[in-house]
Amino acid sequence: MSDHDDFAATLLSDTGDCPPGLRAWNGSDPAQRFAVYRNNVTVSLIDALADTYPVTQAMLGEEFFRAMARLYVRAEPPRSPVLAWYGDSFPDFVQGFPPASGLPYLADLARLEMRYVQAYHAADASALPMADLAGLLADANALAHVRFSLHPALETVRSRYAVVSLWIAHQGQTPANSLGEINLDLGEAALLIRQGLEVEIVRIEAGAAQFIDCLRSGASFADAVHSAAPFDLSNALALLIRGGAITHFTLQE
Amino acid sequence: MNKAVTTTSLALALSAALAVAAIPMTAHAAEKDKCFGVALKGKNDCKAGAGTSCAGTSKVDYQSNAWSMVPKGTCEQTTSPTSPTGFGQLQEFKAKSA
Amino acid sequence: MNQPLSDTPFMGDAASAASPVLPSRAGIGLKPEHFRDVLAQTPELGFFEVHAENYMVAGGPFHYYLEKIRARYPLSIHGVGLSIGGQGPLDEDHLARLAALLERYQPESFSEHLAWSSHAGRFFNDLLPLPYTAQSLAHVCAHIDHVQERLGRRMLLENPATYVQFAASTMAENEFISQVVCRTGCGLLLDVNNVHVASVNHGGNAHDYILGLPLHAVAEIHLAGFAEATDSIGQPLLIDSHGAPVAQAVWALYAFTLGLTGPKPTLIERDNAIPELAVLLHEARQADAIMERLFKDSVPGTESQKAPA
Repeated sequence: MSDHDDFAATLLSDTGDCPPGLRAWNGSDPAQRFAVYRNNVTVSLIDALADTYPVTQAMLGEEFFRAMARLYVRAEPPRSPVLAWYGDSFPDFVQGFPPASGLPYLADLARLEMRYVQAYHAADASALPMADLAGLLADANALAHVRFSLHPALETVRSRYAVVSLWIAHQGQTPANSLGEINLDLGEAALLIRQGLEVEIVRIEAGAAQFIDCLRSGASFADAVHSAAPFDLSNALALLIRGGAITHFTLQE
Repeated sequence: MNKAVTTTSLALALSAALAVAAIPMTAHAAEKDKCFGVALKGKNDCKAGAGTSCAGTSKVDYQSNAWSMVPKGTCEQTTSPTSPTGFGQLQEFKAKSA
Repeated sequence: MNQPLSDTPFMGDAASAASPVLPSRAGIGLKPEHFRDVLAQTPELGFFEVHAENYMVAGGPFHYYLEKIRARYPLSIHGVGLSIGGQGPLDEDHLARLAALLERYQPESFSEHLAWSSHAGRFFNDLLPLPYTAQSLAHVCAHIDHVQERLGRRMLLENPATYVQFAASTMAENEFISQVVCRTGCGLLLDVNNVHVASVNHGGNAHDYILGLPLHAVAEIHLAGFAEATDSIGQPLLIDSHGAPVAQAVWALYAFTLGLTGPKPTLIERDNAIPELAVLLHEARQADAIMERLFKDSVPGTESQKAPA
């Protein structure tokens, strides 16, 4: 059974070839008809990438973005019928794509956009009531060993470049107005937090992002603070609490 | 590293954070540092692209030395202190001959 | 992967005698662009249809809105990624995701396509054609048997829009579909636009095609718009673009079909160049108006809403 082998292989080839065994009722060239399928596959997958990476596309312009995305689609077609996550390796592809090497911040910008999609569709969870957190204040020693569970939609981004500012500058009506003022070589970090139905991106200190990553990997409160670069702890906690991002905690015996 | 972290400082930080979080946010607080993203669309559907002349069928293959394109988006409006050209060292990419 | 054909077709009607069905009225595809408008306006409408794969995410806005909208309207879940016409085994992970989605939303209808979209671990995001042979028939039937058993319900199979034919085919598409319906007990989702597109693309007669289908099994109708291209000798090649209003020829074919089937749940599909909600609602009312004109005596919406015994 090799019909679909031929058909599938030809779908992702760049030649004008046509798999064997096709025909048209009127004797017209089946290759031109087959091209409709090849076009559907390529264009729909490029469209899916454009949906996930709108800021990356805006930075590059549509023509460059789609030409690059087309090469990615050829190299890495989806493995799952669920397209929401298609292109999760696109940032790595961008990073290794020589024609884009003049824009070294692009891969991290793309990573930020994929995290946005992940935060958007992540599982729902209820925030811990503030009173429960306040209850922890009663025992300062126990507090150091508390392990916080964070919302599944929480994501962080850290970059050597100002990708958070770039992303923010592209939201809203006049995307490019403030672009000239951004110092691209200033590293940034961000927290992605879903409140209700919206994902908010908040610029945070790099240390705060490290702290949150440590909490997510299961570190205790004190260990997470210790392993991060200096940052404003109360600010970071206020952000998490206000965003409903702390969903649970466990006390260590 | 925050070597000076004490159990007391953790409690103080949490206490301060709870106090801040309990107060409703003012409209423009930290506006510059946060932003809501756009609503997403569904990516799976059963449409077909219109016709056979869409962008996806144009011949582009940088491995065969045909890739010579320059980004022409908002990247041109950025400035990079390390770039002699002012906006990120854009230049036409010429693939090496195979 | 040849599984033996089941001797006993899935007894959909018997198993689901008491389960609700879509009303014989017009519905529209639910697009995230319209979530808020739908909840704010709660328009008069027979049902909503969603693409299953878009809701195979853990949480967030898509599920929030679908739950609210599902609570107010009958729902059809329409899969686009199961690859029933594929040559390999069905994707069990995907079936499990489908089962969970159907369990969560309890839709009145579940449907998929006579097409393939995955092969050797790659997903092509298009509904690809297959040759119609004894071998592919056995294969498709085995897949549908498996789907219906795994999901514990009858599914509807949709006729495809195709652009090529296979030299290896030994039977016509409608004959193939008749055999599938007969052997598996699945229902038929009759896409009238696809019939028109395929008839033009393959020089066939759309009326004859429809007359050759197992019309007793039709449980839903799809209507959509197409785009026009030409083949290498300048003859029309229609593309199932879902990006335009329903064409006049398709409305006529729809009325012809209804004359044979009686009123049926009818979906207005639009996946490209999605207009305002009001535009889709207007097209849905056109479908309702045709049903009302043809079946004056029976009030749409009550025709197939049999009360549970």
